[in-house]
Amino acid sequence: MKEISVEVITPSSAAYTGAAGSVTIPGTSGGFQVLYNHAPLMSTFDVGIVKVEETSGDTKIFATGGGTVEVRNNKVLLLAESFEAPEKIDAERAEEAKDRALERLAHRSKPDIDEVRAEFALKRAINRLKVINL
Amino acid sequence: MATLRDIKSRITGVKNTQQITKAMKMVAAARLRRAQENIINARPYSRKISQVLAHLLSVEKDINNPLFEIRPAEKVAILLVTSDRGLCGAFNMNVIRQVETLLKEDYAKFVETGNLDLFTIGKKGDDYFKRLPYNIAESYPHIFAHLKFEFAAGLMNKMKEFYINGTYDRVVIVYNKFKSVIQQDLTVEQLLPIEPFDKTEEDDTTAEYIYEPNKTEIINYLLPKQLNAQLWQALLESYAAELGARMTAMDMATENAKEMIKQLQMTYNKERQASITSEIIEIVSGANALKA
Repeated sequence: MKEISVEVITPSSAAYTGAAGSVTIPGTSGGFQVLYNHAPLMSTFDVGIVKVEETSGDTKIFATGGGTVEVRNNKVLLLAESFEAPEKIDAERAEEAKDRALERLAHRSKPDIDEVRAEFALKRAINRLKVINL
Repeated sequence: MATLRDIKSRITGVKNTQQITKAMKMVAAARLRRAQENIINARPYSRKISQVLAHLLSVEKDINNPLFEIRPAEKVAILLVTSDRGLCGAFNMNVIRQVETLLKEDYAKFVETGNLDLFTIGKKGDDYFKRLPYNIAESYPHIFAHLKFEFAAGLMNKMKEFYINGTYDRVVIVYNKFKSVIQQDLTVEQLLPIEPFDKTEEDDTTAEYIYEPNKTEIINYLLPKQLNAQLWQALLESYAAELGARMTAMDMATENAKEMIKQLQMTYNKERQASITSEIIEIVSGANALKA
């Protein structure tokens, strides 16, 4: 069986471990897919969706806030500060975060508003909502 | 001379206190188990990040990340991690004393020129230092009940910005590390500038990696993440250490109460016996007087 082992580690727990046929990652310079016998790789990835095609045939999706990935010897290791399955996402909270970020961006000219951070928060909130509704 | 009733009420009082300390010990023990699990869960993340960074830094010598830049220290920030609540033995005092030593010895000249700011995490440190003529830049009380990674990341991001824009040239953290339930290790760590990595970390990577977008970008991405993880770890350690300290302190208090109750009970019994004896003597001598 041509499978790769996938491990996701976040600061609070090991978020996912399992065997998979392929993993799709939203890389910083473009999304990519890792298949069996992928060359050793180290990369960063952005806010987006990670797709794991499990050997059982199920495809699992996760929302991530970005991180790094290491591929070696058919092992994929993702280090991410946030990594959530759709059922773990609080839709209300994501909705609130989105509104808050939009609110802040609407007043972006004010000096005490960090535009970059607000934009990043907005991106994450939208991504979370997208994952729920997939 | 204490009357019987006085002693009785003392005993009841001590017993009530004992019940409270016992309950607090049990609560601390239950929370400690969870806190310990959190530490264990957080370890792989920071270890792995350090490993990846150590590997990258060994293959890429040419780095110019501002977080590495060592400047002559002009302005210093000290983060001190204490607990939100008391009754945990010397836990908070250990941190406070260590910080005072830093303020009076190592960083005395920064204090004099007003170039030293404190960031207090946990209520107790703030309570103590706000009475003293030191500058508390920011304080974060009541965070331990709902400790979240986002808090660590948010605070660390702020410190990174302060470091990069030159507000501070050095950031130090003082906290208790969890060693065992009965032992805390007082730790002083430098967060910024990032100290050079020890390359002792095993690097078994012979494989030639593809780096995307490139090594420097990955290093620049990972360094801040490593700092976030470091602060997160420190907060978790401190919380577990606090619970451990509270457990030990409350256990000792319960033991002391037990001892005290024993003593009081003994006095009570003696006192009671004495009063009975004197009553009997009175009756007997009264009867004798009638007979005569």
